[in-house]
Order: sequence, then C-alpha cells, then structure tokens
Amino acid sequence: MNIAASPHATGAQGAAHGGPLRDPLLAVESISLSFGGLKAVSEVSFDIRRGEIRAIIGPNGAGKTSMLNCINGFYHPQEGRITFKGVARRRMKPHEAASQGIARTFQNVALFKGMSTLDNIMTGRALKMRRGFLWQLLRHGPALAEEIEHRKFCEEIIDFLEIEHIRKTPVGKLPYGLQKRVELGRALAMEPDLLLLDEPMAGMNVEEKRDMSRFILDVNRHFGMTIALIEHDMGVVMDLSDRVVVLEYGRKIADGSPDEVKSNQRVIDAYLGVAR
Amino acid sequence: MFYREAGQFKATYAADQAVFPIRQDRIGLALILVAAYVAVPLLGGDFLLSSVMIPFLILSLAAIALNILTGYAGLVSLGTAGFMGAGAYAAYKLSTLFPQVNILVWIVVSGFASCAIGVLFGLPSLRIKGFYLTVATLASQFFLQWCFVRVSWLYNYNPSGAIEVPARALFGLAITGPSASPVTRYLIVLTIVVAMTWFASNLVHGRIGRSWMAIRDMDIAAQLIGIRLYPAKLLAFAVSSFYAGVAGAMMVFLWLGAAEPDAFNINLSFLLLFMVIIGGLGSLTGSFFGAALIHILPIAVRQAPASVGLTIGGATVEHLTYVITGAMIIVFLIVEPHGLARLLQIGKQKLRTWPFPY
Repeated sequence: MNIAASPHATGAQGAAHGGPLRDPLLAVESISLSFGGLKAVSEVSFDIRRGEIRAIIGPNGAGKTSMLNCINGFYHPQEGRITFKGVARRRMKPHEAASQGIARTFQNVALFKGMSTLDNIMTGRALKMRRGFLWQLLRHGPALAEEIEHRKFCEEIIDFLEIEHIRKTPVGKLPYGLQKRVELGRALAMEPDLLLLDEPMAGMNVEEKRDMSRFILDVNRHFGMTIALIEHDMGVVMDLSDRVVVLEYGRKIADGSPDEVKSNQRVIDAYLGVAR
Repeated sequence: MFYREAGQFKATYAADQAVFPIRQDRIGLALILVAAYVAVPLLGGDFLLSSVMIPFLILSLAAIALNILTGYAGLVSLGTAGFMGAGAYAAYKLSTLFPQVNILVWIVVSGFASCAIGVLFGLPSLRIKGFYLTVATLASQFFLQWCFVRVSWLYNYNPSGAIEVPARALFGLAITGPSASPVTRYLIVLTIVVAMTWFASNLVHGRIGRSWMAIRDMDIAAQLIGIRLYPAKLLAFAVSSFYAGVAGAMMVFLWLGAAEPDAFNINLSFLLLFMVIIGGLGSLTGSFFGAALIHILPIAVRQAPASVGLTIGGATVEHLTYVITGAMIIVFLIVEPHGLARLLQIGKQKLRTWPFPY
C-alpha cells in the first residue's frame, strides 16, 4: 500500500463501494455475551462486507463497544461465532486479532502518552518489523534499514493525516482532537483489513468532525479499508455509512441502509423513548 | 548561544532517527568520553578512581538495569540488588570452577545466570501488576539474599560466608584482586559500562524499546496493535537482570574485592530505585545522573568542610551529609518531578530558543 500515491487511484475502490453482493469480510452470528447476570449482547448477528463503512449505533449501554470488544478478541462471547476472512473462531486473543488484520481506536483515547506522535505511529508497525533481538542491539545494518523503511511508511500516514507539525511532540501534550487523529494514524500503520472506530468524533467540534469524516471517507475510498464505526452523531453516521446496524439493550433492532434505519419505528422509539 | 541546531538539516530519515540528532550533543558526548578515558585516569588520584568513579559507573549500570524494567517497561522492581547478587555469585562460582577462562568473560557471562533468574521471577508479571508485582519482586530479593547466606556451595564453603575475589590477570596485567591498579579496573569498568549503555540505547530506540514503552503507557492498546505482553515483559526482565548481573559481578570483582551477602540487601535495591526516580524514569542519561546524585553527592558533601579549611567532627559531618543529601533530593524532586534528565532536556530546550522564551 502506498499512501502517497493512492489518493489519485480512486476509481476501482470507489466504484465498487459498498455493493450489496460483495462477500462479507466479517460475519457475526448470534453472539451472546454476559457478565454474570448482565446480558451485554444477546444473539446479535450482522455482517460487514469488504470495502464498506458499517455503522453500529444505539443508545448508551446498548452493547456497541462490547460488540467491538468481541470482534477484536478482548471479550470472549459465551455463544455464537465470529467469522473473519472466512475463518470461524470461538476464542481469540487481541494480539491474534491484530495479526489477522483487525485494528481499532478507542472511545477514550488510548495512546502511549509518554511517546511522541511518530513513535506512537511507529509502534503500530510492531507486527511488520521482523529483525530480532541481536540486530536490535546493534541498530545498524538490517535493523536500521528496516527502521527507516517503516519510518517512510509512517511519514506517509503523517502526511495523509496532516500532522507533520506534531511529529516529535509527546502525545500527552496534544489537544484532544489531534490525539484522536494520532490514534487513527496508529491504527492505519497496521495496514488492517478491518478498522474498528469507537466514537472517533466524540467530544470534537464541528470543524474537527469535518476533518475526521474526511479522513474516514478517504481511508475507505482510497485504500479500500473496511470500517466499522460507532458514533453518536447521527448526521455523521447517516452521511458516512453504507449500512447501519442498530442495537438496543444488547439486541439488534434494525439493520439496513441509513434511510431504512432512519424511518424504522423501533429505532425512532429507541432514540426518542416510548412508554412501555 | 552555541547550542543551536540552525543550519543542521536532516536530509535522510537515518539522520533524523539518530540517537543524538543535534551536532552539539554528539560533540558533547565525544568530549565526555575523551574526558572519561584520558583525563580522569591521568589526572585522578586513586581515591577518585576507586571510591568515586568505579562505584559511580557500576551503580549507573545497575540503575540502567532497573530503568529498563521500571522506566521503560513500567514494571517497578525491588529485586535489583538480588539480581546483582546473582550475577556476582555466578561470576565467583564460574571463576573458581574454571580459573583458566579469563575473568572478564565470566563477568559478562554471569549476566546470563542472573538473566535466567530474572526471567523466572518475571513469570508472575502477566498476572499481577503495579504494587503487587513490586511485592513479588521483593520476594525475589529476600529469597536470593537467603540463598547467598544459606547455600554454602555458592561461596565455596568459606567459613566467613563471604566471597573473595581471586587475583586474575589479562595479558600479564592484574585486573582483579589486591594487586590490580585502580586505573586498570577503572578502564575495564568504563569500557563495559560504555558498551552496555550503547546496547541499551539501541534497544530502547528501536522496535523493542517502543513495545516496552507501549506496555508501560497503555497495555490494552499495546495488545491491540499486536504486541504480545508476556514475551515483551519477560524480555524486559531478562535484559534488566542481565544488566544487573553484570553490574553485580563488577561490583564484587572490580570495586569491592570481596563481598558478604549483606552487600546485596534491600537497601541497595531501594537506593537504585531512588537513583532511577531522581535521575529520570525512562532515560538512560538519567540513570547516570541518579547514580551521581546518590553516590557522588554525599562524598562531595563529606569532603567540602575540609577543603575550605573548616574542622568539623567526623560524626557531625556524617549527620550533615545525610541532611544535605536528603534535602537536595527533595529539592530536585520538587523542581522537576520527572527527574534530572528532564531538567537537562528543559535546559537544552531553553538554550535552543534563547534569548526568546519559546
């Protein structure tokens, strides 16, 4: 993947964008997850197709983040099956999910605060770097060459996200909006097949939201990265996503295109509240 | 005014990724190395060499060991002295069992013995975190010290319970034992410390160092980008205790000349932890600063009254040393809680932008 070159090569990815007949990259089949007596997710099924932006929405506590945690191996659902790239699995560790190509950002930024922006993004390349301990001790020859090769890649991401000016700044000192951007950069550095974004726009102002939306669309269109998105800003969700799944109290209440979901009575009830 | 990077443009990533990207820093480091290799042995007396510089360097190496574990990987340990002891006893056993092999080889190889023990005591680090892990390392400290007292095989059944360094030579030059000159010992210690600091710097600036810091800062996110916590933490334990082991072996063979089990007690572990905290967590330079503050400052304070012609009773000087050193530590921690290394960093930043505030 060459980030610098690809923005012009939009055609192929853009044309096939979110077509209904594409094979699912990830399929979630009747997943149930409970903590003691609390059912966080119950019998939810949906799929994410290659190349689409899939939004997961729902009121607070609906089980959206738990769902993402199941997908990238943090939680192990008691029932159900998750199929990623055609391989079904019951239990998976987070680092295994990472090596299979699932990257993720967090609702409350989970950056490495003591490290610079560049180092944070370089850390995202951890799985791609192969030179062993002895070469690392020397930091010359192949180890340095590898380091520089990955630095180049990270610089492309830095370019793409327009964060050149904070390259060497410790991320703990950055404003929130930029931290979110660096976190996206770290996830992109992994070159994932599936990118899970947990409220990438929470707490941002309109301008920052606009920037972030642009980055998400670019990532999807130009690099063909499949994205699962949790977001509370309905305007953003409806504009960005190809398909939306709606959760409420751990159950799926609607699934379909933004327009279908918008006019679904159960979704309106869930969001506006209804006498039960 | 002279500390400026104006005009130093980085045209390659290699130049930008260098450990010291600013030319003045490289010149400074070269000057320090020249001073350490040429000026100190030529101008320094035996006291400066054997009571100030050798211990300072060895403690710095031990502080680097702890800094790798605590400052970089975020695993607070109180077992450093125990691991140093493991290295010292391993070097002693190896050098008495195989006297024909050069002692310098055994000093470095003994690091591996301590490394193995460190990994063993690092095993719980996946399950327990924070203070609880610290307590677990405390257990290793007490267990190892118990071994040094009770397992008489370790000190070759010596009735005094101490280990004594055999006299050994390299190319006919005595390097351990009573006949070894302070200059020789100093140069050996300096070379080992410089080499190991260089290796440590390479490690922490590369992939492995980044994965340690990632675990330190946010272990959940580290897992999610594919870092496997357990191997990375065990590697930190392994490298750290290797460094501690070599420092311990040098402490007995090149500094003290003989050691009792008590040399590796919990006090030393605490002192090393203070060095790392005061010097700067996650900074190799800071390890040297910390060692200097904890080891050299009391010596300087003790010498001060005599050098300005004051005569104060020995006991009073001793008390004053504690008071002044303690006060200095508190002052430094208030001025800069992130350690002396950060203070240096801030100073450099001010110099770069001088005379403007930023």
